Amino acid sequence: MRRYFFEILAVALIGGSLFFFKETLDYLARRDYVAALLVMVIGIAVISVGKELARLALVQRD
Amino acid sequence: MSETLARPTTERRWRTFADVVAFTLGINVWVSIIILPAIFVGALNATSQIAGACLPFAVLLLGLARRSEAILLGLFPAALLVPIALAPAMASSHVYGPIRFTLVAIGVVAYLFGVAFFTTFHEPPKPRSIRPLSSAHADPAERWQRRERVYWMLFAMSLVVPTTLIAWVNFDTSIAAYLGEMYPGRVALMTTALTVGAIALWLGIYLYAFLGVLRPHRTGDRDLVVTLAQARADAKSGKPRARFYLAVALALAAMAMLVLLRHAKG
Repeated sequence: MRRYFFEILAVALIGGSLFFFKETLDYLARRDYVAALLVMVIGIAVISVGKELARLALVQRD
Repeated sequence: MSETLARPTTERRWRTFADVVAFTLGINVWVSIIILPAIFVGALNATSQIAGACLPFAVLLLGLARRSEAILLGLFPAALLVPIALAPAMASSHVYGPIRFTLVAIGVVAYLFGVAFFTTFHEPPKPRSIRPLSSAHADPAERWQRRERVYWMLFAMSLVVPTTLIAWVNFDTSIAAYLGEMYPGRVALMTTALTVGAIALWLGIYLYAFLGVLRPHRTGDRDLVVTLAQARADAKSGKPRARFYLAVALALAAMAMLVLLRHAKG
């Protein structure tokens, strides 16, 4: 059960990080470079958290 | 006595076969990429252009004479870019329609594959006797099957990625329209520059991403096995690593900063 929870969360976080990268592009198009940088940092952080949860899900599988 | 005589004969036959394959496929590449487009756009008028067009042929002959893989696989493809640099219109999209581009791409892949394979692959001499091992009846180990899958994937990607990149640069109408708008009268030159950029990008990806995957395999997976064992031991604790908390803190800090910025602007 925990494994599925981690897997769903990992997929949601990795997929959700794409939203932040899309927002980064939108901010860049509006020439708001500081906001673009901040949103990109959020995107990278979210994808890292997703990756860690995927790792934990993998351990649960073993 | 007959065996010792047969071995050099087989070796010589292989070498001759490899030379013929490399020469035929190399000539095909040279004619289809340089000679035909040069005739089509009229880029064989000046002496420098003729010399430039002959340069790849000379490099091909030098590579065959020296039987050098570095020349045949590195210098010859690079020499093909010299006449194109002298007359960039030779590589423009109106010279290459999609069908012709596909045929030329197949020719280039066949050349690279033929030279890479036949210059290194030699037919081994016939064994005196054969004794089958008991393990020969079993399927290959899982790790070897996995490794083979990785190699096939790399092979497919090596064909698909550069071909897609170059075809996209040359045949996407929106890119051609954008170049026409930004660089009127220099579309062929800019398309060629973009094509060279696509090749450079592909070489970069191949060097860092693809060879990066192959390197642990070349060293017998020892480093990879140690890294995996370490990762498995870390993971057994069932707790997220420090970077998890760091990433959460970083995301929260960046979000807070973004909200503050919005507040300050508002």
